[in-house]
Amino acid sequence: MADVEMKAADKAKDEAKKDEKKPEEAPKPPPSPVDEIKSNIALIERAVSTLEPRFTYRVLRTLTALRKRIDATVLRTAIEQVYPKDAAEKETLLSWLPEGSAAEQSMEVDSSAATAKPSAPASSAPPPEGEIYLRLLILHYLLTNPATYSKALALANETAEKMQALNRRSMDPIAAKVWFAVERAYELAGELADARPLFLAAQRTASLRHDDESQASLINRLLRNYLHYNLYDQADKLVSKTTFPESASNPQFARYHYFLGRIKAVQLNYSEAHHNLQQAIRRAPQPRTAPGFYQAVHKIFIVVELLMGEIPERSLFRHPVLEKALIAYFDIVKAVRTGSLSQFQSTLSKHAAQFEADKTYTLIVRLRQNVIKTGIRRLSLSYSRISLRDICLKLHLDSEEDAEYIVGKAIRDGVIEGRVVHEKGWMECGGQKDGYGPEVSDVFARRIGFCLQLHNESIKAMRYPLNAHRKELAAAEGAREREKELAKDIQAGDLDDSDMGGDF
Amino acid sequence: MAAHQLKSLYEDLQRSFNGGPSDLKRCGTLLAQLKMGLIETGLLPPRGEHNLDDLVVARDILEIGAFWSIRTQDVPSFDRYFSQLQNFYTDYSSILPPSKREYPIRGLNLIRLLTQNRIADFHTTLESLPLPADAIADNPYLAHPVNLERWLMEGSYSKVWNAREEAPAEEYKFFVDSLMGTIRNEIASCEEAAYESLPLKDAATLLFFPKQSELLNFAQQRGWQVNPTAGTVTFVKKGEEKIEIPKEKLIAANLAYARELEQIV
Repeated sequence: MADVEMKAADKAKDEAKKDEKKPEEAPKPPPSPVDEIKSNIALIERAVSTLEPRFTYRVLRTLTALRKRIDATVLRTAIEQVYPKDAAEKETLLSWLPEGSAAEQSMEVDSSAATAKPSAPASSAPPPEGEIYLRLLILHYLLTNPATYSKALALANETAEKMQALNRRSMDPIAAKVWFAVERAYELAGELADARPLFLAAQRTASLRHDDESQASLINRLLRNYLHYNLYDQADKLVSKTTFPESASNPQFARYHYFLGRIKAVQLNYSEAHHNLQQAIRRAPQPRTAPGFYQAVHKIFIVVELLMGEIPERSLFRHPVLEKALIAYFDIVKAVRTGSLSQFQSTLSKHAAQFEADKTYTLIVRLRQNVIKTGIRRLSLSYSRISLRDICLKLHLDSEEDAEYIVGKAIRDGVIEGRVVHEKGWMECGGQKDGYGPEVSDVFARRIGFCLQLHNESIKAMRYPLNAHRKELAAAEGAREREKELAKDIQAGDLDDSDMGGDF
Repeated sequence: MAAHQLKSLYEDLQRSFNGGPSDLKRCGTLLAQLKMGLIETGLLPPRGEHNLDDLVVARDILEIGAFWSIRTQDVPSFDRYFSQLQNFYTDYSSILPPSKREYPIRGLNLIRLLTQNRIADFHTTLESLPLPADAIADNPYLAHPVNLERWLMEGSYSKVWNAREEAPAEEYKFFVDSLMGTIRNEIASCEEAAYESLPLKDAATLLFFPKQSELLNFAQQRGWQVNPTAGTVTFVKKGEEKIEIPKEKLIAANLAYARELEQIV
């Protein structure tokens, strides 16, 4: 991260000379979208001139909320006010917006002009970052209407080209968001596969320029693209050939872990998949702000947990966000828990369409063997000796012969402890392992390691305002002075006391 | 190589492949020549614009090549043909008319992965099939390997054994033998864990050996003790592993905690 900022430093030096607009006071409770855009542009300007990316982050945090409130007229007014009269960028930006009817336009302008009057039209154009930000807003606006999808795609391509040509480090956080919009434009236009070469090229450039934000965003775009077409092979290769930037933001990490989890689950690497999905859940935004992601991760997480032979917690299915979305999965969990093959099959066929849509069908089909394993496990816990014929009946297996092989495999795989007595045709179950041993310390070590890492990371993440310690030093100095005086007073007082004592 | 020459070679190949008992040797030489021709005309891998018929012919040649490799029992060569074919099956699927050999070849590839015990690859390939999941069960060429995999994972080895004869295409049988080898090893390792000893006769049935001599050979390979008088096989128990306390690891971990705590306090 440090060296990215260093590089940005020499480039933005000339930027710093530009007259810096004072940031507006904290916006009044409900700022109109136009005002918000304008203050955001000001913030971006400030971020560029002071080299502090966190102002840009603050702008981008409002993006989701702002996105829902913008329309053509808002954007038009904002652009009119942000740019000086005859800026070339202004014309190009305006040309992307659909022509509103004149009457409506003037009316809207009037109403918003009242609020916008006090701030005079800008005298200088905002930095290119501001322009890209406006493009991003226009892009999001165009994507809300199916009629303008093709236009959005054209704008997306132009913006991507422009970003690449500008090559400014202070633009990186915005660029990452733009890539998301570009992907969305391609997807809605139904040409998702065609976006791949563009993303691949951009990813290479981003990694060469140490542009971590865009790189993280682009890797996720590519993975999503591959997985959308079920190209697990390519996705896996991409993961093994790239390193996901450490400094990426949490939402990007959450997505990355989710995609990794899906790839690993398909490759039967369930413990890895479980780990990744857990990370995805932990790093994801609050369930209520991003319910879609939360549900999607949990769907696959439950299946992976079942495949590992664990039963998900009951409380998960009562979660208000998840309850409805996970009904089908709840049924599957019940079937696996009871170890009943027939119930499993009927649930599977009943919800097949949903599993198909969630792309978990093939994973769930794999659960069949787990159902059998759980069944055998339950039997081994409740019986110390059971005939193969009874196993066969209880688990609805086809023949005793099968039962013998299946039990043999279960013993070898360590699902149960016991042995088969072939001559008598029964299975004898051994005692269970106790929960103590060296592996306990391993588990503890993992948890302690996690806590320590969390602690260290949060310390690293703390921010202190520049030179703030001076004030504290001064205050400490003052305190010391006061202390000295106090000590003096006390001394004097002591003397007084003794004097007084003397008097007495 | 001129186009008409390529065409006559292709017709020759079709004749020698389809006619009665295929002339495998001749097919081999023809295939080598044809591949050269395809590369020269830019059809392997397909580059730039081509008319449909050329692409179909190229695909045909590669498909025959894939079958030919199986018949000559050359698995690596099948692998190569299959990766070349994937180009046609995925990238050109929207333009080209579907080939009736596509699914047999895809199925063969799945079985190949299964016999090589590459289960992860098997599932990745299965996942990327351009079919909805329930259509796979209806496609005999694909259902066969998918069922085999499921039975293998469950441990229903006898079903796998019985499915040996139900192969949907002649070429599948080539893999059956090596698959049986895999199964036997699986069963053997299960038996080692699950039984103390077994009568010779039962061991032979469990392992699908028709003759006892084969069983004895197999037992020798795996290091089982055969007791000819009692007629039993005794499995060597691996000695109970001693659980040792990993002292060094624990000490190192504790020292690391102490250091970290010191930093915090």
